[in-house]
Amino acid sequence: MTTILTNPLRVGLRQERVISPQCIVIFGASGDLTHRKLVPALFELFRQRRLPSEFAVLGCARRPWSDEEFRQKMGDALAEQVAEHPRAWEAFVQGLFYEPVDLQQSEHLVRLAQRLESIDRLRATRGNRTFYLSVSPEFYGSGCRALAAAGLLADPERSRVVIEKPFGRDYGSAQALNRVVQACAKESQVYRIDHYLGKETVQNILVLRFANTIFEPIWNRNYIANVQITAAETVGVEERAGYYESSGALRDMVQNHLTQILALTAMEPPGRFDPEAIRNEKAKVLQAAHLADEEEAWHCCVRGQYGPGGTSARPLPGYRQEPGVNPNSTTETYVAMKLFINNWRWQGVPFYLRTGKRLPKRLSEVVLTFREAPVHLFDAAGGSPTPNQLILRIQPDEGAEIRFEVKAPGSGMRSRPVDMAFSYDESFGEPSDEGYVRLLADAMLGDPTLFTRSDEVEAAWRLYTPLLELIEESPWQLPVHPYEARTWGPAAADNLLAADNLLWRRP
Amino acid sequence: MSAQLTLQAPLEVPPAEVTPYLENLWNQGLESSTGAATFTLLVWEPSWLEQQLVRIGKVDGPIRGLDRQDAIEAARELVGECGLPPSTAPMDPRLVWKLGALAGSHQAEDQRGQFVESAISNHMPRRLITLAPTLAADQPLETVVAAYCPLPEEGGAGAACGDAIVLRGGLGALRNGLDLIQPLVSDELPCWVWWNSSLDEPPEMLEALAPPRRRLVIDTSLGTPARCLEVLVERIRTGQAVNDLNWLRLRSWRESLAMVFDPPSRRDALQHVVQLDIDVEGDHPVKGLLLAAWIADRLGWHLVSSEVVPCDGPGNGIAAEFQRTDGGTVSFRLMPLPVGAPKAHPGAIVGLRLICRPEQRPPLCVILCSESGGCMRLESGGMASMELAEDVVPLPEESEEMELARLLGGGHDTTNPLLAAAAPLAAELLPVAAA
Repeated sequence: MTTILTNPLRVGLRQERVISPQCIVIFGASGDLTHRKLVPALFELFRQRRLPSEFAVLGCARRPWSDEEFRQKMGDALAEQVAEHPRAWEAFVQGLFYEPVDLQQSEHLVRLAQRLESIDRLRATRGNRTFYLSVSPEFYGSGCRALAAAGLLADPERSRVVIEKPFGRDYGSAQALNRVVQACAKESQVYRIDHYLGKETVQNILVLRFANTIFEPIWNRNYIANVQITAAETVGVEERAGYYESSGALRDMVQNHLTQILALTAMEPPGRFDPEAIRNEKAKVLQAAHLADEEEAWHCCVRGQYGPGGTSARPLPGYRQEPGVNPNSTTETYVAMKLFINNWRWQGVPFYLRTGKRLPKRLSEVVLTFREAPVHLFDAAGGSPTPNQLILRIQPDEGAEIRFEVKAPGSGMRSRPVDMAFSYDESFGEPSDEGYVRLLADAMLGDPTLFTRSDEVEAAWRLYTPLLELIEESPWQLPVHPYEARTWGPAAADNLLAADNLLWRRP
Repeated sequence: MSAQLTLQAPLEVPPAEVTPYLENLWNQGLESSTGAATFTLLVWEPSWLEQQLVRIGKVDGPIRGLDRQDAIEAARELVGECGLPPSTAPMDPRLVWKLGALAGSHQAEDQRGQFVESAISNHMPRRLITLAPTLAADQPLETVVAAYCPLPEEGGAGAACGDAIVLRGGLGALRNGLDLIQPLVSDELPCWVWWNSSLDEPPEMLEALAPPRRRLVIDTSLGTPARCLEVLVERIRTGQAVNDLNWLRLRSWRESLAMVFDPPSRRDALQHVVQLDIDVEGDHPVKGLLLAAWIADRLGWHLVSSEVVPCDGPGNGIAAEFQRTDGGTVSFRLMPLPVGAPKAHPGAIVGLRLICRPEQRPPLCVILCSESGGCMRLESGGMASMELAEDVVPLPEESEEMELARLLGGGHDTTNPLLAAAAPLAAELLPVAAA
């Protein structure tokens, strides 16, 4: 019996908007992100016929590569996809170009402008340009200034700039960077990217909440006891020690990814599905969020750092033993914290956020735990009834499940918890696009819904300012607790919840 | 629907002065705006039904050429009075012919082309050209011109603006006025032609307005089935970007059927389809044929034969046989059903039944029914031993203008590949005797 891999009736049903003729200019084209994420995402869009024939990619970096070298390197990096779709690659690669550019050199920008004009003529890209700043964060501001000075951001309809995370290091630096960026371009031209927002399951939070009538009436302090948001990684710092040593988990994961999930989970319904309406609500809820104890932040936050672990057959080094890491490093690889949101919907409901490296499982999820039934009429198999939970699985095994009590079979009236589950795989059976595929397409279409607006970024940094200040000024008050690699973080993180008579969910 | 914000009152100018007037307007009158770099929308807007209903006093003016519920309801009531079968859809061109024979001489202001659905104006067309033929065939040509900006709350807060031009008059006058149009259509911007009428109308106007380089929007529910499919297939064959509103209205049926087979556990059944039945309202089979052709194309079936079958309904049915890729046979029947309250457009789908007999598994029967009616005929007979997947297909709630706006927003400059593949097969499925 042959199995059909794809649903033939599904093919082509999605009619996506076509991207206008366009040249996407990637600064930092010799970097990791370009060949790991950006060019694969663009190739995927090309294969899905979502890119117009009038399309070009101009890679820019300091290295003196030629167009041919750039094409070759990208082809090598995407060897698997190229082998699978050789004809598509052959067509796609015709639109790949390279220009050696140092953004700090004004004459390089003049040359870049000339190159873009020649690409416009060659590929009929009509002056529509998306500039992607995949450069070191300290060059975001100067990069924007250089583009503006060269007149490349002058047309707000035809030019956009995409800025990678992290956007600033703290509230002050994010404000300053926003001022620089907004002096160079209109806010509508600026796309601050957070690839978590490109995930289907993150976007599904909006759909689940606002396309159904069964959740929203109970999505509040009257029914929800607490919310846990987890982003766990099994990997260590890998080759990113240089960046990670100066950022840590708080800046690398919490301020952006987890905070965006928090905003989508807690925001009010927007009046309409419109970029500004959605971003207004996200900004408002972040402005209402605060650490559970801002004065003595060590009471509501735990930092950790993974130590050695693994098995004797496959030992895992501790963070301080990783290449490029200071052997006395106090950078956190794990953070857990408790927040509140001061508004009518969420007053008094604790939100617990945690993220860490070298944890036992790779997963991201949102768990909404509902209040207990007011009276326990039945014996529970587990001693006491398990509170109802709604679990939104962001990755892997994308989907959602609801946990509720049912009658255990047999005589008597004992209850036990069961799960009602939805799985993307089982229901749709199609792999989702990588987050960058969706986000790059949206940026080129001029749809900023899934990008972070300046006030959102600032509100997110402001939320963690007490922690950042504490780490900066009196780090001993927020020590880095060691935890064994491949365990669920330091005991102090468990104590954070134990103080509220709660436990972290063990997925 | 909301009105455009015009920068000036629509102004009647002599036909010969339209082009100089617009040049002057953009060069001097609108110095701060360069106009939207979007597209030209050219609309053939006879609104025969609305014009006739106004003439016989069944609805009030002004005539605007937009979807109006009161006109649909009035037309529905007149079906019986005109001696047409109850299954006749209000938009059926045969009703318009019958209305033409009724007495009446009410007049109303003709505002066609001056009001545009906000969903369309949100896309900021650079130029809207409306050809508005009048019932009076001898009416001379009038041209009305206005500049506009979309209202800020409709998303048009920018400086980009466009202009609207209306050519109004009898058919002869409009034919004579065709020369005016070419200079008004910029070669630098895409041009969409919306043929908002029956495809049975004299072809020379369609030929003149919609050469292959322009993107064409038609509705294959309006006109005789053979003519509708002929235009669709011929235009696709020439490489023109063709969009069919009748095809777009199938969206919820295609989506609902695809959803049934999304779970991987059901996919294998698609290789073992043995029977496909589609019921349609009245005697217009094109929509049903397009749906069948889409399924057949996606599943790789080869058409073996097609013939007319007599039935008790308002017209003849169509029976066909397909061969699957594995050599198995699929029998197909499209049956016209008499309905008391048909939808606005002829040939709406009432129900679909797909029976699959996978090896070593129980047969699967998929039944999709229209939201507005049951499909008892498809639910009857011998399905007790089958796995039953039944669903109700929601009715599209969008007006023609909303569908068009979706097309304009999509920006596709080629025919949808699914439609391009399905249309020739649908034409083959239509037996000569049923055409």
